[in-house]
Amino acid sequence: MKKKTILIFAIMLFLVFVAWMLRDLFMVRPELQKNPYDYGMTALRKTDTVPSYTELSPLKPVLREITSVAGNQDGKIYIAGKGGVEILDVSGRMLKHFPIRGYATCLTLMPDGTLVIGMEDHVELWSPSGNIISVWQAVDTNSMITSVAATQNLIFVADAGKKIVYQYDRYGKLQARIGEKDPVRKIPGFIIPSPYFDVGISPKGELWVANTGRYRLEKYSMDGSLLTSWGEASMAMEGFAGCCNPSNFTILPDGSFVTSEKGIERVKVYSPDGAFVALVAGPEAFDEGTRGLDLAAGSNGRILVLDPSRNQIRVFVPDKRN
Amino acid sequence: MDKQNRRQFIRTGIRWILFGGMALVAGDLIFRKGEPLFGKNRKSGPTVWQLDPAKCIQCGRCATNCVKTPSAVKCTHAYSMCGYCNLCSGYFKPETKTLDTGAEKQLCPVSAIKRTFVEDPFYEYTIDEALCIGCGKCVKGCGAFGNGSLQLQVRHHLCDNCNDCSIARNCPSGAFSRVQLTDPYLLKGFGKKNL
Repeated sequence: MKKKTILIFAIMLFLVFVAWMLRDLFMVRPELQKNPYDYGMTALRKTDTVPSYTELSPLKPVLREITSVAGNQDGKIYIAGKGGVEILDVSGRMLKHFPIRGYATCLTLMPDGTLVIGMEDHVELWSPSGNIISVWQAVDTNSMITSVAATQNLIFVADAGKKIVYQYDRYGKLQARIGEKDPVRKIPGFIIPSPYFDVGISPKGELWVANTGRYRLEKYSMDGSLLTSWGEASMAMEGFAGCCNPSNFTILPDGSFVTSEKGIERVKVYSPDGAFVALVAGPEAFDEGTRGLDLAAGSNGRILVLDPSRNQIRVFVPDKRN
Repeated sequence: MDKQNRRQFIRTGIRWILFGGMALVAGDLIFRKGEPLFGKNRKSGPTVWQLDPAKCIQCGRCATNCVKTPSAVKCTHAYSMCGYCNLCSGYFKPETKTLDTGAEKQLCPVSAIKRTFVEDPFYEYTIDEALCIGCGKCVKGCGAFGNGSLQLQVRHHLCDNCNDCSIARNCPSGAFSRVQLTDPYLLKGFGKKNL
């Protein structure tokens, strides 16, 4: 009887030992998975602010590696990327597609409909029907063109490589260099730590530039004088989250600003004087690590957001409840 | 077919086992990891462990799994990629308001990053390797908001080059691999010269 008890006890002990070994071999203990040095991006990406916009079905262009979007008030959407330009109607149906040689980094429309396309180191003008009008000479050997904006007669080219905005006439003749550090004129210069350097024209014809190293938008006169600026670095919804933000912006017909950020991906609306108005889309709407959320104002108050991670044009409309 | 006796059966069996073993060894030598045994693409020579910054997810295991204390994995700085930002997201904790060198504002748990004023508004960030524990917290911050100039690398003057590297075994993203000793760093950008 005693022997039998010892045998049963030994077998049980052996089974417990085998179970412990199996657990050690195949089970993943959560305490070992936890990162004691976690940066806390998950907490930073959570927001209490409710978006004031609703997302519609995204537009899916044929182009791969899209980089830039522009829109006009009759609803047409212009998309540029690697090797081509695509024109869609308001419903996302393709109206026109034409190839270009090289990598388009940015795109804008002149009031007469001419497409201004920034390539990596030079600018090209195309007609909406897909005919090339002119190819300008390379700006500089170290140039990295990240944004273009246009008025009736002037074209502004943001060069992240040289950290300057060039002002050209429509024939490609250089008129002025805007934003060069100049203590006499109290121009601090652009601080561009990474290739996110956007430029835009307001409905009043004012030139706005994203000085991302100073986390603000700056307004310049056409002769290059710094007129005003707004924006501050902050993880809070009202500010721009850290380095190189706002990465992109666009200006709505009423003069309000729409900005996008990287790091904590969010798209927001600010009033013409720079006060926070609304959240369009928070970090949860985007894949973590998405960068280069180019923006455009569509028709009927729509905001177009180019999502390079998903290769889509995301469409947001004001929520009627707000 | 004639019936085999026991001796013939054992002899035939041994021949097949030897043949199969030799074929396996030859196949492994020729095709292992895409490195051919013969031809001009053949790589030879001693190898060392290194981690690929493009695959690294900053999980913190380089700090906790290395047999060395502190870890032989260190933060390295590719200066050619750095924006020399005033608000460096690899140096400051998120939500920091005033940008000074107060310890409570630093992201690094051991204050291994030194911040030096260059000219307004630029600052240089250097790594004190003796202090760095290779946790990758600064790498995560720099990559999320900045240019990703801070990158983790195995420092070979500290690494024991274990045959079965404990970090490589536990790396969840497969960022560790053996690289040629003649080209032992996998920094992105143009940072190799900075090491």
